Amino acid sequence: MPKPIRYLIYAAAIALLAYNSVYFKKLDEVKAGNTVFDAAGYAKDFWEKKLTPGLSKAMNLNALTSLLKADKEKAFNEHSHALGIGNIRYFLVKGRGVVTDVDENEVSVQLTDANGKAVTPQVRIATEYIFGNAVRDASGAIDINAFANSMDFNNVSAEINKIIREKVVPPFKSKVQKGDRVAFHGAIELNRAHLQTGNIEIIPVSLQIEKP
Amino acid sequence: MPQNIQPIAGEKSAADGRPSGADGRSLALQNRFPIARFQSLIALFLLCLALSILSDKFLTFSNLWNVMRQISVNICISVGMTLIVLTAGIDLSVGSVLALCGAITAGLLKNGIEIPSLNLFIGFTLLGATLVGAVTGSALGAFNGWAITRFSVPPFVATLAMLTVARGLTMLWTGGFPISGLGETFQFIGTGWFLAIPVPVWISIVVVAFAVFLTEKTRIGRYIYAIGGNESASRLSGIHVSRVKIIVYTIAGALAAVGGIMVTSRLDSAQPNAGISYELDSIAAVVIGGTSLSGGRGSILGTVQGAIIIGVLNNGLVLLNVSPFWQQVVKGLVILLAVIIDKANAKNE
Repeated sequence: MPKPIRYLIYAAAIALLAYNSVYFKKLDEVKAGNTVFDAAGYAKDFWEKKLTPGLSKAMNLNALTSLLKADKEKAFNEHSHALGIGNIRYFLVKGRGVVTDVDENEVSVQLTDANGKAVTPQVRIATEYIFGNAVRDASGAIDINAFANSMDFNNVSAEINKIIREKVVPPFKSKVQKGDRVAFHGAIELNRAHLQTGNIEIIPVSLQIEKP
Repeated sequence: MPQNIQPIAGEKSAADGRPSGADGRSLALQNRFPIARFQSLIALFLLCLALSILSDKFLTFSNLWNVMRQISVNICISVGMTLIVLTAGIDLSVGSVLALCGAITAGLLKNGIEIPSLNLFIGFTLLGATLVGAVTGSALGAFNGWAITRFSVPPFVATLAMLTVARGLTMLWTGGFPISGLGETFQFIGTGWFLAIPVPVWISIVVVAFAVFLTEKTRIGRYIYAIGGNESASRLSGIHVSRVKIIVYTIAGALAAVGGIMVTSRLDSAQPNAGISYELDSIAAVVIGGTSLSGGRGSILGTVQGAIIIGVLNNGLVLLNVSPFWQQVVKGLVILLAVIIDKANAKNE
């Protein structure tokens, strides 16, 4: 085959591929057609209308740890939430206790029972590194299918964590001291296959320093 | 092919991935120990037998198709890795290249390219986005090959550098976030069915057929074995060693891109940390499949067996509820065993 014809065939093939590969539009038209998901607004709405009213259903952490020891499957099946099929599950919990240590990143709390008597385990309330999906998923009140994509869904988690960092933690962190009696609501993450209840970290949703 | 190449790897023996001595001694040994020829198949059979006894879920259609769907990605990468290992090279960057190509495909498909200064939006069709992803993989592979041949950088070092570069580029491209919601048409590549067989399995069949044809029926296939057998002799025989190596690394890069597109499609999401440790799985498949890490000996079909063994092993350990930490230990020991058996066979031959 003569070279010019061969090159012509190559050029035609490349042009055909390119024609079927890309398309051009005006940028402002595309942007006008795109509606951006308001993750901050969604998170605020979720916080006020679903999460805060749902805190009344949070399980007492003392009762949860007892149930985990007695019947792990029941505890996970009836009180945890998760979106995936893995072993990581989330619980919405509440509790009371005495602050045993305060450092830059967390507040250690010795849980107490209804009579104010110390019970195991000791827990940590995160006050610096508020990350992950614990609060979003522990509530069980958000349906992943309601989101167009997982980035929007993850952004909701980031915004919820931002609310915690900006509104829940600062008033507590600035006043809390060793020996204070505190009450909390929050979310915890437990591994169903490798359960560790000795050093639970709580991502707080509400924190109160109770008067002695 | 130059005539004096033939004694290096042996044209006939190279085609089936087995070395032969000039005196036919190894052939006699193979006849005496035929089990060595089928060791991967025997291992796979025993593994499947054990798992079907230990788990009632293993021998179900849904599980077996799921295993096939999962190993399709590893087969694609491992085929490219086999070509490289046959030339006595190695590619540690396939996992990162996979992630980058998947992310580029997803990003172009979902967001296109915006050029504000021209008020222009360039959108990409499925064909366009996958083509750019595949071309990116090929380009990165070609760069690996070029760096290795032009500057005599050891493949281990050159591809280790590319591992980091490609992972960094993936993070830059994605901003560290997954790119999701890529559409049903794109998802068909990773989750669809065609003629009652998952699409990824079809893709891996095409890839394997291409690679078998390349290694067994083409001149470049013979060159690959020859270079792995004795690079200096190959060069003296007139083989353009650098060109062959660049082609091989380019093919491996393209196949890593195909794997990346399949993974992204299956998850409907390009994850910036996708493909981590995939290079180890693919090297394991190559080694278990009987390809010698010193080059010149091995076969594509052996690698396919190796990939299936790795996939079945992964699946079996999950079904048996073995801790992920122990799974890594078991996989490592299996690879070690495969290398020891390979060395023992080589010594016998």
